[in-house]
Amino acid sequence: MNAIANFQAASVEDLLSAAQRLRQGIPGDLHEHVVEAIYGDAARIADRAVTRPGAPARPAVDRTIDRIVTSRVWGFPIMLVLFTVVFWVTISGANVPSQMISSVLVDRLYPWLRETAASVGLPWWLRGVLIDGMYLATAWVVSVMLPPMAIFFPLFTLLEDLGYLPRVAFNLDNLFKKAGAHGKQSMSMMMGFGCNAAGVVATRIIDSPRERLLAIITNNFALCNGRWPTQVLMATVFIGCLAPSHLGGLTAAVAVTAVAALGVGMTFLVSWGLSRSVLRGEVSTFSLELPPYRPPRLWQTLYSSLIDRTIFVLWRAVVFALPAGAVIWLFANVRIGGVSLANYAIDWLNPVGVLLGLNGVILLAYIIAIPANEIVIPTVLMLTVMVTGMTGLGHGAGVMFDLRDEATLKTLLQAGGWTTLTAVNLMLFSLLHNPCSTTIYTIYKETGSRRWTVVASLLPLALGVVVCAAVAAVWRWLG
Amino acid sequence: MSGWLFLAGLAVVAFPALVWPRRGLLARWRASLAWSARVHREDALKHILKCEANQEVPTLISVAGALQKGQRQVAALLADMEAHGLVSFSDGRLRLREPGHELALHVIRAHRLWESYLADQTGVAEAEWHRQADRQEHLLSPQQISALAAALGNPTRDPHGDAIPDATGELPAEPGQPLGATEINTPVMITHIEDEPEAIYAQLTAQGLRAGMKVCVLEKSPERIRFWADGREHVLAPIFANNIAVSALREFRPADLFEEEYLAGLQRGQVAKVIGLSPACRGAERRRLLDLGFVPGTSVEVDLVSPTGDPTAYRVRGTVVALRREQAGLVRIATERRIAA
Repeated sequence: MNAIANFQAASVEDLLSAAQRLRQGIPGDLHEHVVEAIYGDAARIADRAVTRPGAPARPAVDRTIDRIVTSRVWGFPIMLVLFTVVFWVTISGANVPSQMISSVLVDRLYPWLRETAASVGLPWWLRGVLIDGMYLATAWVVSVMLPPMAIFFPLFTLLEDLGYLPRVAFNLDNLFKKAGAHGKQSMSMMMGFGCNAAGVVATRIIDSPRERLLAIITNNFALCNGRWPTQVLMATVFIGCLAPSHLGGLTAAVAVTAVAALGVGMTFLVSWGLSRSVLRGEVSTFSLELPPYRPPRLWQTLYSSLIDRTIFVLWRAVVFALPAGAVIWLFANVRIGGVSLANYAIDWLNPVGVLLGLNGVILLAYIIAIPANEIVIPTVLMLTVMVTGMTGLGHGAGVMFDLRDEATLKTLLQAGGWTTLTAVNLMLFSLLHNPCSTTIYTIYKETGSRRWTVVASLLPLALGVVVCAAVAAVWRWLG
Repeated sequence: MSGWLFLAGLAVVAFPALVWPRRGLLARWRASLAWSARVHREDALKHILKCEANQEVPTLISVAGALQKGQRQVAALLADMEAHGLVSFSDGRLRLREPGHELALHVIRAHRLWESYLADQTGVAEAEWHRQADRQEHLLSPQQISALAAALGNPTRDPHGDAIPDATGELPAEPGQPLGATEINTPVMITHIEDEPEAIYAQLTAQGLRAGMKVCVLEKSPERIRFWADGREHVLAPIFANNIAVSALREFRPADLFEEEYLAGLQRGQVAKVIGLSPACRGAERRRLLDLGFVPGTSVEVDLVSPTGDPTAYRVRGTVVALRREQAGLVRIATERRIAA
């Protein structure tokens, strides 16, 4: 018995050492041989067992369309035209519903809520926090954010469903490759023009970890829907007037386009820098499948883009807007020694703001209006009225408002000390600053990493500070 | 008075900064001394073990060369190692003793496993593998190394083709002969690319040479060696070529090597069959290509070319997949014409 056990032990040992010897003799990696053999077997079995009846794998229509949309001559023009149409439809189509929602939520419901609250006998401060702060901020975010998203996302999803967007990635990949990024980043970037939070979610289509991180971190450089109004306003009020009056509109449009283009340039520059520095060690694999064209399923597209994207993003924005509204109101109304918190903060921030070619009001607005870029301008206006002590404008401390009359707006801002430099730097800072809290939260959800969330939040801010400070310095030096 | 006060204040701040345990400047300085002593000791052991495995004789001079240190410094180092029972100078020869052998084996194992890890699980550039592994080899404990080996599936070779030794036992000799010593027009396979010195290694990887590639020497002269490897011609100075070890490939003819084709060269309208993936394609990249269906025997053809010329979309297994040129250069194919022939 003992002898047998010994013999077996010896033979097992022999076997193991023989196996070890044989394994050493195999060239290359054993696991890769095994994996390849498994794939090869699977492919052979599938070929034997699966028959593909009927239509050829790739219909002639598909091939023809592909030849056209990826051709040297037509590829880029078609792309340009399609996206211009999408943006134009979004911007011009969103105006009317935006005003309708605003007139219901802000012009009708808001006064009614105030009166009701007063008649119920709520103390003035609770009324202020709940209605002037929380409700108004949320109503504002919803009315400005909802219509463009409800138009942009279905259009975008439609193009995606059709199968056109992967062709865009295919056409642009070489450009992104030079920056160390993935062609599909073009898709998440365009989504970012609608909303950065949605753009960050859209990076899920990039399956290579390094390129996906790049797309997430740089998505904020796509000028989102919430920042377009700021750009347009600054460009028309302060920059358009620099040109002769018949060219004013054009000058303003060029200025806004230049800022958006700067954002695209930043996307490439930062991607290039990151892929060669901090992201060097992340895994990178490229692949891009070009699915067959499908007739879009209209209702399904509409439903899924409304539920998955629009409502999803809006819900997150609302969740963040509620507390921010309260904070904005409290900042303007809590007084210590007769001076509001906002005034303290503005005085404290003003030296930094001036150094950046901005002012304390703008910086404070960017800090307390972090949930959504949409409420930055209303907050700026409210704070400016507070600081300048102008009468007859706005609705009191902590109540955001908007001005549709450009001349009054300009007078108010100039009373607040604004110059052309302030406007230019606000446009730059609006492009280059930390993402809104909705986007930051989404980045954290998508990456699951605090480190990358911090990088994605602070990197654009640092860039913005540097760029604004440089522009301000050069501007003052020149005159 | 205020001058004295200032000095006293300075002393109060400076003294703890100097002598604070573990954080103070003194403690840091001593830690860095201990670290560099450890690195030198382990590098010397590594060198001696490699020499022993390849039937070469390690000497004070060769150790000094490997460590790039002065001979006096290395003599002191070896004397210290002898005092600690790591090496012996019995009968005038430098030999490893049992603890030294074990430690050297551990360091080499750590180095090669870490390189495998970097190659397969991260996107760290190839030129960085050696440098990073040179640091990690001194940091990893035997337990960490065993865990890493298990996680990687106990690989037997590192990305340069070197055998990864077991935790105990002998270090296998480096196989093969130098590329410079092979006959003209005889197919051979790269079994190993020496990763030291780094400058030469960087040059070799920059040329795209990898362990597992099939090579055929075309021309040899004292100044240069011209050879064919994986679809294109390379020229190297003999000093570079001697850092490449090769072994014979008897079942191949030179013509088989010259006619090897890669997906990147496939023209529109041609149909080809995939033969396999290049050894230069590793880790996640390799698994991705296999996932997409680039497995031996699959037929592929060009479907679309991007307006800028890259990437190219290929039709494979009923789907259209775009690959960048560098990736397509990793897929070996045979075009239909050659299959028929």
